[in-house]
Amino acid sequence: MGGAMSEHADHLGTQGLQFFGKVSASISHELKNVLAVLNENAGLMEDLSFAAERGKAIAPEQLQRISGNFSRQIRRADAILKVMNRFAHSVDHSRARIDLTELTTLVATLAGRLAAMRNITLDVIPPAEDITWETNPFLLENLIWLSLEKVMACSEGGGAVRFRLAKEAGEVVLSITAPIQLPADLVTNLPAGQVQLLSALAARLVLGPTGSELEIRLGCRESPAVGEEATGGEGKKG
Amino acid sequence: MRVLLVDDETEFVSTLAERLSLRGIDVDYATGVDDALAIASRKEYDLAVLDMKMPGASGLELKKQLAEKYPAMKFIFLTGHGSENDYLLGSSGSEYYLVKPINIDLLVSKMKEALARYGGSNV
Repeated sequence: MGGAMSEHADHLGTQGLQFFGKVSASISHELKNVLAVLNENAGLMEDLSFAAERGKAIAPEQLQRISGNFSRQIRRADAILKVMNRFAHSVDHSRARIDLTELTTLVATLAGRLAAMRNITLDVIPPAEDITWETNPFLLENLIWLSLEKVMACSEGGGAVRFRLAKEAGEVVLSITAPIQLPADLVTNLPAGQVQLLSALAARLVLGPTGSELEIRLGCRESPAVGEEATGGEGKKG
Repeated sequence: MRVLLVDDETEFVSTLAERLSLRGIDVDYATGVDDALAIASRKEYDLAVLDMKMPGASGLELKKQLAEKYPAMKFIFLTGHGSENDYLLGSSGSEYYLVKPINIDLLVSKMKEALARYGGSNV
């Protein structure tokens, strides 16, 4: 039993590291783009100053435009780093009460660049009232990320992917709606790591009624901390 | 030298275009694949500088489309990370690539090299 639990933790750990790696790679790409823009604007200022040395006047609006570009990119980098910092701190506690809209928005923001590469936009539609949940924040982020990856992989033509949160019959349901119909086998034959992730979160993955929603259903029994005995993939009611 | 720059980062590509223009290069830019194909259809370009990762299509996919229509066009790729270079070299057969943030003098030098090596308009 101890061996099985250790293997369970290993799968979750490996999957978590892969998730962390993908997010880090995406953020580093975004920051590279910011640096590239800053580099060109610094270069343009240098070009203009060389031209000025040769007697060519610099138009004030040119400098204002460059200055505006610097400010925009600095704000952009600041926003990227704030999101990165929030994500990094999601491993601080293995169990915490979280606002699910905030957590979903964080994952959607982290996945924004990868979605844009597929011509997909991500929208989080907030519920009428806040929904909080006590769980392992990092594992839930990982599950949402993996579920979103599945939906995006099916949405080859691009379009809008929407997240909706709702309470339903004792469960919390996070629906990820694709612009197309999702294949029925999307929620079957899951890799071992994903099955264990669902188990650790006391969650299940199902297709919604219209066939275009992938639903993460968080069961009534709020998820155990990692290392506690986890139940099967089906969340218990009651 | 007539150059088409393609990158979805508008501020990057517009500023780079301005800098190349200050160096006497005839340059236009596009911020997406469809935009690039439309611009390329209106004017003859010697060379295209393509970002590797853009929404909807990679730089390699765009290169394929442009090369089919304009066989004389030469290509230089821009990548965000050095790790993409292996993929790039293995897939495209091109040795002309630069990692962002780029050195403009190196870019101009690569442009001249590409045209001199494979032929093209006077630089």
